[in-house]
Amino acid sequence: MEVLYNDVPSGVGSKGRIRLSAADERKLLLKGARWAVENGMGEEPDLEKTESGGMIDGADPSLISAKAYERGRSQQGTLGSGNHFLEIQYVDEIYDEKAANSLGLFPDQVTVMIHTGSRGFGHQVCTDFLEVMERAVGKYGFVLPDRELACAPFSSPEAGDYLAAMRAAANYAWANRQCIMHWTREAFMKVLGRSPQSLGMGLVYDVAHNIAKVEDHVVNGRKMKLVVHRKGATRAFPPGHPELPAAYRHVGQPVLIPGDMGRASFVLLGTEKAMEETFGSTCHGAGRIMSRHQAIRKAKGRAIWRELADRGIIVRSAGRETLAEEMSEAYKDISDVVDVVHRAGISKKVARLRPLGVVKG
Amino acid sequence: MLMAGGYETLDISGDAGIRAFGSTLKELFINAATGMYSLITDTGSIAETVTVEVSVKSHSLEGLLVSWLNELVFRFDAHGFTGKSFSVISFITGDKDAADADAFSLSATVAGETFDPRRHEGRLLIKAATYHNLQIENIDGVWTAEIIFDI
Repeated sequence: MEVLYNDVPSGVGSKGRIRLSAADERKLLLKGARWAVENGMGEEPDLEKTESGGMIDGADPSLISAKAYERGRSQQGTLGSGNHFLEIQYVDEIYDEKAANSLGLFPDQVTVMIHTGSRGFGHQVCTDFLEVMERAVGKYGFVLPDRELACAPFSSPEAGDYLAAMRAAANYAWANRQCIMHWTREAFMKVLGRSPQSLGMGLVYDVAHNIAKVEDHVVNGRKMKLVVHRKGATRAFPPGHPELPAAYRHVGQPVLIPGDMGRASFVLLGTEKAMEETFGSTCHGAGRIMSRHQAIRKAKGRAIWRELADRGIIVRSAGRETLAEEMSEAYKDISDVVDVVHRAGISKKVARLRPLGVVKG
Repeated sequence: MLMAGGYETLDISGDAGIRAFGSTLKELFINAATGMYSLITDTGSIAETVTVEVSVKSHSLEGLLVSWLNELVFRFDAHGFTGKSFSVISFITGDKDAADADAFSLSATVAGETFDPRRHEGRLLIKAATYHNLQIENIDGVWTAEIIFDI
């Protein structure tokens, strides 16, 4: 855990290990995780098991502001803070043996889960385009109930520019996770003295957790092209979907649902019902039940790290308050949440993962 | 009615926010920035070794507050700059119906230092200041604003 904590920068004000030329920055935004693999950080099979091959088409680096470049520059290859994490886990329960087998999961297997995104780069793209969209709301005559909401018609130049910038941010995020996964493999190699291949550290799946995509869906019996924005939601495509890699086409898309750092995370599979009822989507996590202040108050006088250590979970965090804010009691029980999506049929349970070691920003 | 420090933190599930006060708009903007920095770190540990100049403009007063805070978020996230004291050079409030993108403007110098994870406590990583429920009001001569941050 110590090596992972040192090798993967995390927390407020942390800086990444990657320094890129302007030309390489552009390449990264166009090629996403593929850029990382081409630069020795990962293998081709990683890309096959990443949503959209880790590289979404239609990104335009020329639409990215100088500020977004500047903000993203020092943060490529960083975990971030808040609910983002890197966990060493183990498979504690299998619900569907055949499906688990297809995904390469088996009981007591050690796994790693990485939860992070496009960092300050994506946030700056959002901030920049909120201004553009705010003007668009007036220009196209929309009436919206909250100033925090903004929109533009899909075919407008404003929306086109935004999508091209958002796609660059998505590629930034895929590159980020690919780099962090690579350093995680290196950390295991350093500590255990064995290669990632011999340790079986292959990627199960990498999926975005805040992205808008143009997809085919059936609405009232009619096939339509829709823009599906999944935020606080994750994609859950069924078996046979053309977007899935060959390895998973017969079982469906692996769905990763992280829980809090003390309880569990789940691997599920996408279903046809998700396609019919939720535009191929399922939940992304447990959801909070306590505000941050409530959690900090409840954690006062307690050593959250020791409580976790007593249960066999080693946690490293740069932020003093992060552990209190992120403690188990602050979240709904992920098992209950996952049971709901399982029973609703919008994704089906394959395996439960229990945390062993946690890096929190 | 004025809180010590000119701001208080709001307890909202999922997000973070502050309520800032000021006897003038200038003071309100400064207190909002100080309040925001208090979410990021313990501002008591920040020294004044670096000075930066910040200029923002907008077509509305609320827009100006969001731009001001987002500019400071950018300076922190890109360069680690953490502000401590503020000196307003100019503050122009225009006609809110003018729809002129430059009608409201603020320029200020901010003194502070570069965040160092070894010396400064890391609290919340703020992604952006938002327009959510944002309203700048003058209640009995006191300017107030509630700002929700994306974290």
